[in-house]
Amino acid sequence: MSAPRPNPLLSDRDVDFQLHEVQAVSRLFSLPDFADHSRDTVSLLLESTRRFARAELYPTYRAMDEAPPVFEHGRVRVHPALRALYAGMVDLGLLTATRPPEVGGQHLPLTVHAVASAYLMAGNLSAYGYLGLTLGAAHLLEVFGSPWVRDTFMTRLYRGEWTGTMALTEPQAGSSLADVKTRATPAPDGSWRIQGSKIFISGGDQDFTENVVHLTLARIEGAEGGTRGISLFAVPSRRPEGDALVPNDVSVAGVIHKIGWRGLPSLVLNYGEAGDCRGWLVGQPGRGLACMFQMMNEARIMVGLNGVATASVAYHEALAYARERPQGRPAWAKDASRPQSPIIEHADVRRMLLRQKAIVEGGLSLLLSASYQADLAGHAPDAATRERASRLLDLLTPIAKTFPAEKGFESNALALQIHGGYGYSSEYSPESWLRDQKLNSIHEGTTGIQGLDLLGRKVIAGEGAALRAFQEEVDATVERARAAGVEAAWCDALRGALDEAATLTMELAARGLAGEVEAMLRHSADFLELFSVLAVAWRWLDQAAAAREGLKRGADGQDFYEGKLAAAQYWFAVEVPRVALLAKLCRTAEDSYARMRPEWF
Amino acid sequence: MKILVTAKRVEDPESKIKVKPDGSGIVQEGLKYKINPFDEIGVEEGLRLAAKHGGEVVVVSIGTKDVQEQLRHALAMGATRAVWVNHAGALDQLGIAALLQKVVEKEKPDLVVLGKQSIDDDQNQVGQYLAEFLGWGQATFASKVESLESEAEKNKVPAVALTADGKAVRVVREVDNGLATLEVQLPAVVTTDLRLNQPRYASLPGIMKAKSKPIEELTPEKLGVDVTPRIQVLKMSAPPARKAGIKVPDVATLVEKLHNEAKVV
Ligand SMILES: Cc1cc2nc3c(=O)[nH]c(=O)nc-3n(C[C@H](O)[C@H](O)[C@H](O)COP(=O)(O)OP(=O)(O)OC[C@H]3O[C@@H](n4cnc5c(N)ncnc54)[C@H](O)[C@@H]3O)c2cc1C
Repeated sequence: MSAPRPNPLLSDRDVDFQLHEVQAVSRLFSLPDFADHSRDTVSLLLESTRRFARAELYPTYRAMDEAPPVFEHGRVRVHPALRALYAGMVDLGLLTATRPPEVGGQHLPLTVHAVASAYLMAGNLSAYGYLGLTLGAAHLLEVFGSPWVRDTFMTRLYRGEWTGTMALTEPQAGSSLADVKTRATPAPDGSWRIQGSKIFISGGDQDFTENVVHLTLARIEGAEGGTRGISLFAVPSRRPEGDALVPNDVSVAGVIHKIGWRGLPSLVLNYGEAGDCRGWLVGQPGRGLACMFQMMNEARIMVGLNGVATASVAYHEALAYARERPQGRPAWAKDASRPQSPIIEHADVRRMLLRQKAIVEGGLSLLLSASYQADLAGHAPDAATRERASRLLDLLTPIAKTFPAEKGFESNALALQIHGGYGYSSEYSPESWLRDQKLNSIHEGTTGIQGLDLLGRKVIAGEGAALRAFQEEVDATVERARAAGVEAAWCDALRGALDEAATLTMELAARGLAGEVEAMLRHSADFLELFSVLAVAWRWLDQAAAAREGLKRGADGQDFYEGKLAAAQYWFAVEVPRVALLAKLCRTAEDSYARMRPEWF
Repeated sequence: MKILVTAKRVEDPESKIKVKPDGSGIVQEGLKYKINPFDEIGVEEGLRLAAKHGGEVVVVSIGTKDVQEQLRHALAMGATRAVWVNHAGALDQLGIAALLQKVVEKEKPDLVVLGKQSIDDDQNQVGQYLAEFLGWGQATFASKVESLESEAEKNKVPAVALTADGKAVRVVREVDNGLATLEVQLPAVVTTDLRLNQPRYASLPGIMKAKSKPIEELTPEKLGVDVTPRIQVLKMSAPPARKAGIKVPDVATLVEKLHNEAKVV
């Protein structure tokens, strides 16, 4: 297979802009935990990471898509390039980067880690998948594990010697984790015997490290039903006995044939078929889901980032293609002797490109805002700031997870569309990114579940405290934009959409309090979309303000800033007006599908 | 073993480089900079040698405060400490070699590793001048026998080999018709070619450690070197744009045009 043409994966200029001109990430460096970092350390890290992503990860992406893992003699063999790629990512320090020095980390702000990760994801999302899963599993052990569990499992995960998984889903328990059936019974040595079956477990087996640790949800024998009966266990594929590792009766029952993420196997795992599977309790009995949810914000931010990254790599591919592909002539020059124009000269192609840019860069900005709040929530010295940030993060999370997944899919489809018939061929990559992207609206809670979470929980949390914090953030951005001389119409439109959303939230909450829960939640998907349009408009107004400031400073890169302003204009012209329609659907509880009976279909 | 390596600051070839309209230089605005890739290979080779035989790697760069970025890059890769010769303004290859000579006399390394050239001016002179000024042996264009995909590369074994008695290095070098092997008595100067190694990626722990590694500041005055350039750049211009090609209907026409118009056959 020939090497793919170079792809920047993300725009470096945009990354710098978002970190330093839009977010002013350096404000984080004044927090004590982050005091060791500076713009210089960040730029060195990004330099290394983007080079690694472009030179090592990206060239293996297609090969992994074309040769998915093989299941043979009960073991899974993954692509041979993964051994070096995984070691390379661990060597960069990205597994422990955000963790405290006690566990080998450097307290890197998540905001910076997110950007670095986005390059890796855009380069080869499956390869990154192992790192992301291991990071999540190790982090859970770090926070909730007993000293023995930390020593035995966490340290090896953080050193990159073993990898981790998140084993939640069962055939009857996908969206509804309350229905988890895997069982745990106490063993005399203080461990637990685990018995049950999990499905879709990503990274559940591989042949580049000697062991895999599954963070597994199971129900302790005799525990109550529902979510409060669920506990969390560390269950290794091979357990330590003395100095040796012995099989722990976790077997692979099958590999799922997937349409994307084909470098990362998703497996059916059987625990304790021979009655000899041991697990170690993590956190309190019955607190398994609560522990998991503590990590969920980060996991969902990772999914959102993945959505952005997967849309971004395809956008850059489409952009390069549109500059090169000659086809047709301008509408006013049909003279066939004139050479054909590159398709980027057609307004409709620029429409598709600008929409992708608006989604990708708006999405990245949203993810960085959410990560920024996560950094404050975890590291601000005063409790009030931490609490406010944590509420804001909770509110932003379902949006930051879903917008890049849903609109990213549309953006990936546009990248394919720009390639015309060639895009429909598997000789070109856009089709594979489109397949990859689809997962992001499914795992870590489907879009349906995110909508219910936002409307049913997040916007009304703390008697509206989260929503008020969001309003303050938007107000601050509007103020910045007005001062920078951004179009007043955009500022007014954002304020208008915010007021609409706030009023609507009150009305729907009142409906819920009055016992009309179904009518409150009926349009939760539209509510989520409304909030996504609004949140991304907020991010575009902030970017427009930073662009105006840049132009005023006479900073170089006028083209870059003009592009930002055009994308912001697009969002306010095309997307923000949809807020009114979406609000109307929610407010009137429009009942077409509510009325629809299953037998009418 | 003490190894001195260089880290020149050069324009990142990924940025769009434009010549100023008056031809006095290139447009600096909006350019990104990086460590000269040949030097980066030199840093990597130095680190591998130091890892294998013990010792330290000292990195040197000449220029304004900005070159500290490239020094930090080398320190993040693992160099022990840095020397910065603070100088603004034009320098020619002789001036650079003279400054390096003084740094070498001060530092007394066993080996100096430089890029064979820097990707901005492509001069390929400094290593050779330096060896001459010092009166040391030199082995230029160091390369590797095995391919970069080999196990040896994966295990990060240095390609520049210290002899058993530790008094010389054996260097495989790229020459026009293949590879030649030289043995040079230490102390010596080695310059690197592109196929010598694949430089490591600076890691976050490495980057954080680099922050506390010392950068010593020197100046041409302190080193007692007159760096007035003997070479003057009169004018810069972009290479002429290539004219669009033409399509010919058949081989006969091609031969006819090559013969009569291009006059090459
Ligand atoms: C490639 C891949 C990798 C995965 N990796 C992992 C992993 O590593 N670990 C892990 O534990 N799991 C993993 N999963 C599982 C994933 O999290 C689940 O597929 C997901 O939670 C959805 O569950 P489900 O498939 O059972 O769908 P279902 O829950 O059956 O959902 C089907 C549809 O019904 C809707 N729906 C369900 N319940 C409701 C409700 N209450 N209200 C409204 N709508 C509802 C959903 O939105 C969805 O559209 C992975 C899945 C895939 C495809």
